[in-house]
Amino acid sequence: MKKMTTLMALAFTGALSTPLWAADAVPHEAGIESEGYVWNKMEGEKLEALKARGDALRGEIAFEICQGCHRKGALGRDDGTYPRLAGQHASVLIKQMTDVRAGRRDNPKMLPFAGHDALSVQDIADISVYLRSLPSPADNGKGDGKALTKGKQLYDKDCATCHADNGEGDGPKFYPRVSGQHYKYLLREAVAIRDGARRNANPMMVKAIKKYSDQDLEALSDYISRFASK
Amino acid sequence: MNHKRSQILTALLLAGGFWATAHAGDAKEIAASVCAACHGEDGNSVAPTFPKLAGQNAVYLQKQLKDFLSGKRKNEAMEPFLGSFSDGDTSALGVHFAREKTAPGTVEDATLVEAGRKLFQDGNTDSGIPACAGCHQVDGMGNDRYPRLAGQHQTYTLAQMQNFKSGARNNDKGKIMRSVAERLTEAEMKAVSEYLAGMEVK
Ligand code: HEC
Ligand code: HEC
Ligand code: HEC
Ligand code: HEC
Repeated sequence: MKKMTTLMALAFTGALSTPLWAADAVPHEAGIESEGYVWNKMEGEKLEALKARGDALRGEIAFEICQGCHRKGALGRDDGTYPRLAGQHASVLIKQMTDVRAGRRDNPKMLPFAGHDALSVQDIADISVYLRSLPSPADNGKGDGKALTKGKQLYDKDCATCHADNGEGDGPKFYPRVSGQHYKYLLREAVAIRDGARRNANPMMVKAIKKYSDQDLEALSDYISRFASK
Repeated sequence: MNHKRSQILTALLLAGGFWATAHAGDAKEIAASVCAACHGEDGNSVAPTFPKLAGQNAVYLQKQLKDFLSGKRKNEAMEPFLGSFSDGDTSALGVHFAREKTAPGTVEDATLVEAGRKLFQDGNTDSGIPACAGCHQVDGMGNDRYPRLAGQHQTYTLAQMQNFKSGARNNDKGKIMRSVAERLTEAEMKAVSEYLAGMEVK
């Protein structure tokens, strides 16, 4: 069962064929699979984007490239294919986007629309400020609701230190907000982080989540998906 | 649209409009004497390999004309007619055709329309095709950054997608339309072209 979910996660992010005109190589940088991995190194265009002054008005226009997948208002899809971005911390958005561009997080579906050809560092800063300002209503996808007590117990024990009591996360520390996120996306990422497939993961989180079975992660994701969201 | 943004857009339009009045007469004349042969008297071409220009966004039209002039976009039929236009001419021609009214298109294969609608409005999550509506807008009318597609001849629309896919057309900024087309199957391109031809024109 555990293997199966991993396989599904891999199939979802798996490589798409490269067209003839796309001369640029797909970027790849060492991640958590390699020795000496340092999470969230402060350098390169991530640092530039964090320092830039974002403008929400320009961000709204730049986000048009993204809304064919992440949808209007950045609400994502409850089938989990495309996550919700509305209300996420700007720091987290900048880290995730620049990780994809540098090849520290694999996302071949998104890369051509968020890579260096399509977006400038200033665009990233603008989009992040815009997305942070958007509401994230409680109509996100949820689990089956059958193991919420267990979910809460595990969350309070092992996750709340970083993702906060109600899933607010912590912007300055680059801990994602998880409230309002779609259940299926949460579950896919939790599995990918546990199994080492998400290469930009935080080693302390990996330690915290390593021991959990697929069933535990379902309970956790379900509980998280029900946090009060604004 | 919020207030501040609409003010910025209005300012941009006014700046563009100034040029347009200076050249409106010329543009009308050029359109009638040169372009009409292929694109129709009112910018609504009859032959389906020639695009309708009527009602297309002015900023997009000017960009295409400039791209043809600089060789960034290539087309043998057009080239001889674009000898020596200035920025003012291309801008005025864009504004001229943008003001014309688009004639509705005709659906040729109604069985494809529903699949085309689904792709346009919702994309394809398996192959990672974003919904076209995200950029070209839900009503297919586009905006200053993305061309209008509603009501266009299916033959022309299909050819453009094939050209983006092969790279024969490569004047899209950031390769974004090529990246979309690269993921489209021939069947998806045909279906969405039918849907667009039958889309309501405003
Ligand atoms: C072709 C579809 C597609 C487009 C277009 C797209 N994305 Fe994504 N995006 C995805 C997918 C799929 C994921 C989830 C990847 C995964 O499961 O690891 C994602 C994830 C993300 C994440 C990580 C979210 C998180 O919670 O960690 C961010 C941030 C993001 N996208 C921003 C953007 C921005 C900004 C744009 C436009 C510039 C964009 N995306 C365009 C498909 C897309
Ligand atoms: C040491 C702090 C820490 C702990 C403890 C922690 N996390 Fe995380 N979590 C993170 C960070 C940091 C990220 C983002 C990783 C990155 O930078 O890409 C993350 C990402 C996630 C994501 C993906 C979010 C997204 O938007 O893509 C999920 C889901 C998640 N954590 C669930 C959990 C669960 C469940 C637990 C408890 C078992 C947990 N985390 C414990 C720090 C932590
Ligand atoms: C001999 C026929 C012919 C004449 C005359 C002609 N065009 Fe075209 N035009 C075409 C064809 C064919 C295309 C489609 C090119 C392609 O397939 O890429 C085209 C495309 C265009 C486009 C791009 C439309 C789009 O939706 O991307 C613009 C703008 C344009 N023409 C403007 C003009 C203007 C302005 C004139 C007059 C100065 C003109 N054309 C004269 C045949 C012609
Ligand atoms: C990420 C944004 C984006 C998405 C999504 C997108 N397009 Fe485009 N499309 C563009 C841009 C930008 C251009 C104009 C390129 C240029 O400047 O020449 C364009 C041009 C086109 C043209 C040429 C129009 C003409 O008059 O010549 C067609 C046809 C087209 N797109 C169809 C589609 C279809 C069908 C889809 C969905 C399957 C789609 N597009 C999705 C950005 C997008």
